[in-house]
Amino acid sequence: MSAIFAVFRHELHRIFTVRPAFSVLILAAAIYAAFYPQPYLNEALRDVPVVVVDRDGTGSSREMVRRLDATSDVSVALVLPDLPSAQRAVFERAVSGILLIPGNFERDLLHGRPSPVALYADASYFLIYQRITGAVSAVARTLGAEVESARLVGAGVDPAVAGAVVDPMPLTAVPLFNPQGGYATYLLPAAFVLILQQLLLIGTGLLGTTPDPDRPRAGPLATVTGKYMAYLVPESLILPFYLIALPYLYDVPRLGSTVTILFFALPFALAVSGLGLIAAAVFRTPLAAQLATAAVGLPVFFLAGFAWPPEAMPEAVRLIARLLPSTSAIDGLVRVAQLGAPLSEVAEPFLTLWALAGLYSAIAVALAFRR
Amino acid sequence: MRPRNGLRPGFLLVFQRELVWLRRRRPGLLVLVTLLPLGLMGLLMAIFSAGLATRLPIAVLDLDGSDLSRAIVRTVDATPDVAVAHRVADLAEGRRLILSGTVHGLLMIPRDLERDVKAARRPEVVFFYNTQTLTSGNLVLRGVSNAVPTVAAGIRLSLRTAQGQPMDAAQASLAPIPVQVHGLFNPTLNYAHFLLAALLPSLLQVVVVVASAYSVGLDVETRHRLAILRRLGGGLWSAMAGKVLPYTILSLMVLGIADSVLFGVLELPLRGQRGILLLAGILFLLACQLLGVLLALFLRSTAMAVSIGTLLTAPAFGFMGIGFPRLGMSAFAQGYGTLLPGTWYLTARIDQTVRGTPSDLSWPPVLILAALVIGLAGLAAWRLEGLRARRRRAGTGRTTAVHGGSAP
Repeated sequence: MSAIFAVFRHELHRIFTVRPAFSVLILAAAIYAAFYPQPYLNEALRDVPVVVVDRDGTGSSREMVRRLDATSDVSVALVLPDLPSAQRAVFERAVSGILLIPGNFERDLLHGRPSPVALYADASYFLIYQRITGAVSAVARTLGAEVESARLVGAGVDPAVAGAVVDPMPLTAVPLFNPQGGYATYLLPAAFVLILQQLLLIGTGLLGTTPDPDRPRAGPLATVTGKYMAYLVPESLILPFYLIALPYLYDVPRLGSTVTILFFALPFALAVSGLGLIAAAVFRTPLAAQLATAAVGLPVFFLAGFAWPPEAMPEAVRLIARLLPSTSAIDGLVRVAQLGAPLSEVAEPFLTLWALAGLYSAIAVALAFRR
Repeated sequence: MRPRNGLRPGFLLVFQRELVWLRRRRPGLLVLVTLLPLGLMGLLMAIFSAGLATRLPIAVLDLDGSDLSRAIVRTVDATPDVAVAHRVADLAEGRRLILSGTVHGLLMIPRDLERDVKAARRPEVVFFYNTQTLTSGNLVLRGVSNAVPTVAAGIRLSLRTAQGQPMDAAQASLAPIPVQVHGLFNPTLNYAHFLLAALLPSLLQVVVVVASAYSVGLDVETRHRLAILRRLGGGLWSAMAGKVLPYTILSLMVLGIADSVLFGVLELPLRGQRGILLLAGILFLLACQLLGVLLALFLRSTAMAVSIGTLLTAPAFGFMGIGFPRLGMSAFAQGYGTLLPGTWYLTARIDQTVRGTPSDLSWPPVLILAALVIGLAGLAAWRLEGLRARRRRAGTGRTTAVHGGSAP
C-alpha cells in the first residue's frame, strides 16, 4: 500500500516537473479548449451565395428570386444573363450554385402547366449542397402550393378542401437534441472526447518514456496502480472541464446529469491511461511516442462511428474501432450528456470501457513485470 | 574544403548523406514519413469502403394500422436511405430505442390517419430524428421526406380526380414548380470518397511538418551540425535543398501511391489537369516541410518543435473547410486556414480532380502555395544566416578571449 502511495506521489510530482508531459497534459488542454472549436462557432452555414440566370424576367420569376434571397440559407449574390458566365462564377468560387429560371416560366404557371426551374448546386461540399437544394426546393414548393390552391379556389373548390388537395398529409420533421442542426453542437461533444483521449495518451506516453532514474521501488501492480491514481488527479479537473464546462461555454445543450457523465468518464480515463503505459513501453523514447501519435487523431475520430455511421463500416474495421477507448467513450458520453440517456441505455459502451481498462491494465502490468 | 571520400561538396552530397542516414540511423523516421501515412490512409479507405451509408435503421409507431399507414411504412422502408428496423407500441419505447442508439429516428403515424386524410382534415405524420449525429440524422430525414410525399402524391391524385379533374391535368398540377436538381461536380453525391481524397493531404500535412521539424531539429540541436551541412552542401541554398528534397520525394511517392488507389481503384473523378495537380502537390509538400524547418530553427529544441508542429497541424482539418465550409467560419478561423498550406492544396486538388476548373481559373491556389514556399524558404534562410552570424560572433569572441588570456 505504501509502495502504491510512493509511486503515486512520485508520478504526480513528475506530471508537473517533466516539462513536455506538463505541456501536453495541462497547457495543450487549455490551448485546444480555445483553439479547436474556432471553425465551428457560427454553428450554421448561412447565406450561401448563388447566382440566378433569369431568362423569364417576369413578376413571378422575380418573386421567386426575392423569396430565395430572403431565406437565411441562401443569398442571391449575382444575377447574370447566361449560363456560361454563371458557370464561370462557380469555377471562380464566387458562388456555389446556379438557379436557372427558363423563359415562359410565368406563362406556363398561369396556364396550369408544370413550370420547372433548374438548379445546379455545387455538390463537392456536402453542407453547401444541402443548404442550396433545401432552400430552393422549399421556395419552389411554397410558391407552387400557393399557385395550386389559388387555382383550385378559382375553380370553385372549397378553400379548406383545396388545402387538403395540395397537401393532404403534411410531414412534420422534429429534430431531436440538436434542434438547429448546429455544426458546433454536433461536432464538439465528440471532438472534446477525442482531444481528451489524445492528450492523456500522449501525456502518459511521454511520462512513461522520459528517463526516471529515482523512481520508487515497487512491484508492477503497485506501479501501475500508483500511476493511474496520479493521472486521475489532473484528469479530475480536465474531464469536468471538457465534458461539462466547455459544452456550457460553447452553448452546447446538455441533458445528462453531471454525476452520470463523470461516472461514465472514469473507465475511459483508466483505459486511456493503460493504453498510454503500453504506448510508452512500445515507443521507448519521448520523441518516438510523440511522432507516432501526431497523425493518428484524424483516423481515430472517423473510426469512432460518429461522423460516419458505424452501420456503413466493414465488420473488421468496427472490431478494431472497439479496441480504442474513444469509440465507446464518444458513443456513450454523447448519448449520456447530449441525449440524456440513463446509464442503463449506455451499458454496452460503459462495460466495453471497463473491459478495455482491465485488458490494457493487465498488459501494462505484464510489461512492467518484464522490465 | 574537400571531404575525405573525395565527393565534391554540393547538393548531391547532402542529398545522398540524408538518405543514407535515414535508412541506417533513423528507420523510425522513414516509417513515419512512408508506412504510417499509407497505413492510416488504408484504414480510412476501409472505413469509407461502403461509399454510401444506406439502410440506416429507424423505428415506426403505427397508431393507425390502415392500408394507408402500411403503404407509408412500405414506401419508407423501400427508400435506399432507411430501413424500418423496429415497430414500437408507444412513444416511450421509441424514445428508448433512440437513446440506446439502436435507431436514428422514429416515424409516428397518428390514429385515424386514413379516415382523416379522406375527410380532408390534413392529419400530420411526424418524424422524430436524431440530429446529434448530423450525418445519419440528415440521411434518415432525406429518406423519410422523400417517401412520405410519394404516398401523399397518390392521395392528391385521387382527391383531384374525385373533384372531377381529368387524370393528366391532375398529374400535371401535382408539382407546379418542379425543381430539377443537378449536383455539380459530384452527381452521385458520394461524400465518402470525396472526404477520403481530402483526408490524405490532411494526414500528410501533419506527418510532413512533424517529420521535417524532427529531422532538422536534430541538426539544430547538435553543435556544428548546421555548419557541417552547409560546408558539405557548398552553400546555403544547395545544402538546404539537399536536406529537404529527400523527404519531398518520399512524401510525393506516398501521395502518388495513395492517389493512384483513390483515382485508379476507387475511381474518383480526375477531370482537371494533372500537371497543375502535381505542381500543387510538390509546392504543398515543400511548404509543409519548410514550416517544419522554421519550427526547428526558431524553437531550437526538437521536442518543442515537434510538439508545436503537432499542436498547429493536428486540428487543422477543421480549419481547411472540408466538413464545415470556410465561408461559414469566423474571421479568426478563416485567417488561420489561410496560413495553412493544406487549405490551398485542397482547393487546387478539388479544382483539378472533381471540378475540372478551366486552366485560367486554376492558378490562384497554386500561386498562393508558391508564395508560401518562397516566403517560408526566405524566412528559413534568414534565420540560418542569423544563427551563423551569431555562431561566428561567439566563435570570434572566444578566440579573442583566448588570445587576450595568453597575452602578457
